[in-house]
Amino acid sequence: MENIYKPYLMNISDIIDEAPGVRTFRLNFLNEDEGKNFQFQAGQFALYSVFGYGESTFCIASSPTRKDYIECTFRQTGRVTNALSELNVGDTIGFRGPYGNVFPIEEWEGKNLVFVAGGIALPPLRSVIWNCLDLRDKYKNITIVYGAKTVEDLVYKHELKEWNARDDVNLVTTVDPGGETPDWAGKVGFVPTVVEETAPDSNDTIAILCGPPIMIKFTLPVLEKLGFKQEKVYTTLESRMKCGLGKCGRCNIGCTYICKDGPVFTAEEISKMPDEF
Amino acid sequence: MIEALRKKAEELLRSNTVDVIYGYGEGSTPERTRPVFITKPEDVNKLIWNKYCVYNLTTYLKRQESRKLGKPAIVVKGCDAKTIVVLIKESQIKREDVYILGVTCNGVGEPLATKCKACDVNTPRIYDDLIGEKIENKEIPFDERYAELDEYEKLSEKEKWDFWQKQFAKCIKCYACSSICPLCFCDRCIVDKNQPQWIDPSAHPRGNLSWNVTRAYHLAGRCINCEECQRVCPADIPLNLLNKKLAKETEKNFNYRSGYNIDDELAMATYKEDDNQDFIK
Amino acid sequence: MEKTLKKENFNSLITGLKDQGYRTIAPKKDNNLVTLDEVQSADEIHLDHVQTNNSIKEYFLPKTEKILSYTLEKNKVSIEEPEGFAVKSVVFGSRPCDAASLPIMDKVFNWDCSDKFWVERREAITIVTIACDKCDNYCFCTSVGLAPDSKEGSDVLLTKISDDEYLVETVTEKGEGLIKGLETVFSDPVAGTPDRQVASVEKKFEIDKIKPWLDENFAHKIWAEFSMKCISCGACTFVCPTCHCFDIVDECTMSKGDRVKNWDGCQFKMFTLHTSGHNPRSTQDQRWRQRIMHKFKYYVEKFDNILCVGCGRCSRVCPADMNISEMLEIIATEENQKE
Repeated sequence: MENIYKPYLMNISDIIDEAPGVRTFRLNFLNEDEGKNFQFQAGQFALYSVFGYGESTFCIASSPTRKDYIECTFRQTGRVTNALSELNVGDTIGFRGPYGNVFPIEEWEGKNLVFVAGGIALPPLRSVIWNCLDLRDKYKNITIVYGAKTVEDLVYKHELKEWNARDDVNLVTTVDPGGETPDWAGKVGFVPTVVEETAPDSNDTIAILCGPPIMIKFTLPVLEKLGFKQEKVYTTLESRMKCGLGKCGRCNIGCTYICKDGPVFTAEEISKMPDEF
Repeated sequence: MIEALRKKAEELLRSNTVDVIYGYGEGSTPERTRPVFITKPEDVNKLIWNKYCVYNLTTYLKRQESRKLGKPAIVVKGCDAKTIVVLIKESQIKREDVYILGVTCNGVGEPLATKCKACDVNTPRIYDDLIGEKIENKEIPFDERYAELDEYEKLSEKEKWDFWQKQFAKCIKCYACSSICPLCFCDRCIVDKNQPQWIDPSAHPRGNLSWNVTRAYHLAGRCINCEECQRVCPADIPLNLLNKKLAKETEKNFNYRSGYNIDDELAMATYKEDDNQDFIK
Repeated sequence: MEKTLKKENFNSLITGLKDQGYRTIAPKKDNNLVTLDEVQSADEIHLDHVQTNNSIKEYFLPKTEKILSYTLEKNKVSIEEPEGFAVKSVVFGSRPCDAASLPIMDKVFNWDCSDKFWVERREAITIVTIACDKCDNYCFCTSVGLAPDSKEGSDVLLTKISDDEYLVETVTEKGEGLIKGLETVFSDPVAGTPDRQVASVEKKFEIDKIKPWLDENFAHKIWAEFSMKCISCGACTFVCPTCHCFDIVDECTMSKGDRVKNWDGCQFKMFTLHTSGHNPRSTQDQRWRQRIMHKFKYYVEKFDNILCVGCGRCSRVCPADMNISEMLEIIATEENQKE
């Protein structure tokens, strides 16, 4: 019988420093066959492990359209992410996944998309953003609003430049007041305010939101004001997880298990959950 | 005595001297009592006092949930009162933040709890009000106070090791011992710290040994031997034997009894220039 | 299949099991506790108790278990899988409530994907239950749809019919196989209805009243009121036969280590603490609510079973005398009042 807790072994093939304490790993399967058979969809997460330190949960940050590798972006905060950041190219880590549900991007075809992210919450959206950009013809206008505390804290700086240069993407970047540099060309202000100013047309539009609880809390009313219906607003939730498989019993909000029923939910689904986030 | 207790409690609540009474109430069986938190004067009849009032209610001084109820008056026995002394000395509470309802006590538990067998604090040594007839506290000689260690101390080192190996094997790491301990008030216990992981979280021999020994040592010179850890242990590990041994060594070496005299300097947290041990300088 | 078993034949039974390669786990007295533990002979078996201190859970979901091992060599990692964890065993003399917890837990460990550590142990272990001939005030199996002689989860059920004799009923094929393999130990039942000595466990509340109340009362003052005395330890969840929450951690030296699965509990404040410091269940009323909700609402909705068998262990060991059936009685009464 298969051991559901056994991870794949992955080789770190590239490391990118994104922002202070934030790093991206590009990972390849050590066993090529495992890599060939591996499939995931945007929105899913995994458990990444440093042997001797344990497992940590975060999303897959690369797009499923990029088949040769998996990327993840993490911030150094706990025991495992600190151990991860000590690793070098060529080191081996464990990877269990993909787990959880997905962004229903096929349902979104033919619609406008508005992505809103704050700080370290861009990685979960990066997967679905690239997924949609790689299938660009299927979607109408694509708007990305991304904010961080300071200019330095913005992640994927090269990709932000790339998106900014594209005609078919409307990128709005912002930093919190005081976080700007003299040459900062983006906006200054908090994400909810910037979303309101950007005022994306809610007609035939899907909004995808990811950020710290405080950002979500203040952005949802803005989207509502702009005419977004709750069932057209998607977000992805975080929780402390250990198994990722609906067994260890800690990631629930009411009857909903984030690891199995989520992490992707609509604002409508979230509004029905008990207040225990 | 119960009437006097209820009357005093009612008075304290009515006069807004305190916001809540931490006391004993009826338990789920006649042989049990349970902590009750009385905030309304009309509820003081829920307070009881009998030989089953074994709990040390001062543990609720560390809990955010009970602290939110406001300034407490706590029903304490002589042994429990020692905890308050330590909490004051260790700057966890201020004397004026707690109203001490001392009760005189002739021993609790059925059969009589070990802690009561050589009691010299039948009347608490610190209180704001004393409920019950004052009992003259006896002077009990050192050896008698630590008599429960007699059998244990006769064991050889190997036998002691085997004894504890067997006892700790039963540990399930539920942490009831530290959760109930009024002096285990660290916001984040060492077992919850994992950078580095000082104590293996697993309930295997290594993890159990390091947890139980660390717990006991962190209480060395502090534990007032209320025996709550031992009472609550679902695996029936005689934890107080460890605590008592450490208390005995502390008294022998530093002439210090935790929580006994409020004017004594803490054994483990006092700096002295003329300390006779080199490492501290 | 029905048989009888004389108490004097217990020893032949245990020896017979041993000869067939079974490890026997049975109630055993150790100081003040009666625990389910490995026994070598029938002399060690203790039957004069209401409930064992530990539940049957630890033989299927141990308090700590290796889920994989690894060796580290420079930047090379090799993984080894644990073997031999599912030991062919018989649990003899566990209570019907404990046995009933197993099919309930099968659901969580098998839904969507199967946890082999649970499943392989379930296959390797045969359950011979003894119906309760006594109970105490903490028992409430009859309130959660079970009985002191329930057969759920047992392979064989023994019921006392006299001071020295038990009626033996096989419940599953696995149980039948076990009995057939030890035929000489058992006798054929005598004609007539045997006098089954079964405890009478008082019904404390109507279980049907619980979930409707929970559905409506996520925010209710009772959660805080009732849990004020709770000290946030893990005693209730660890002695519980149906609490199955666990943690996964790594333990290692410089060159090799284990990834282990440990019991964890929803009453600990660390249980849901995020690395960011945010905690969705930061106060005790939230954690107590989670325990009750998980057992009597969430699990029911997900797996169509109550996650409680009424063994009463949590209430017996609670350091602060929190009593779960008392909580449920209050809920059932509240639900009554509404009507």
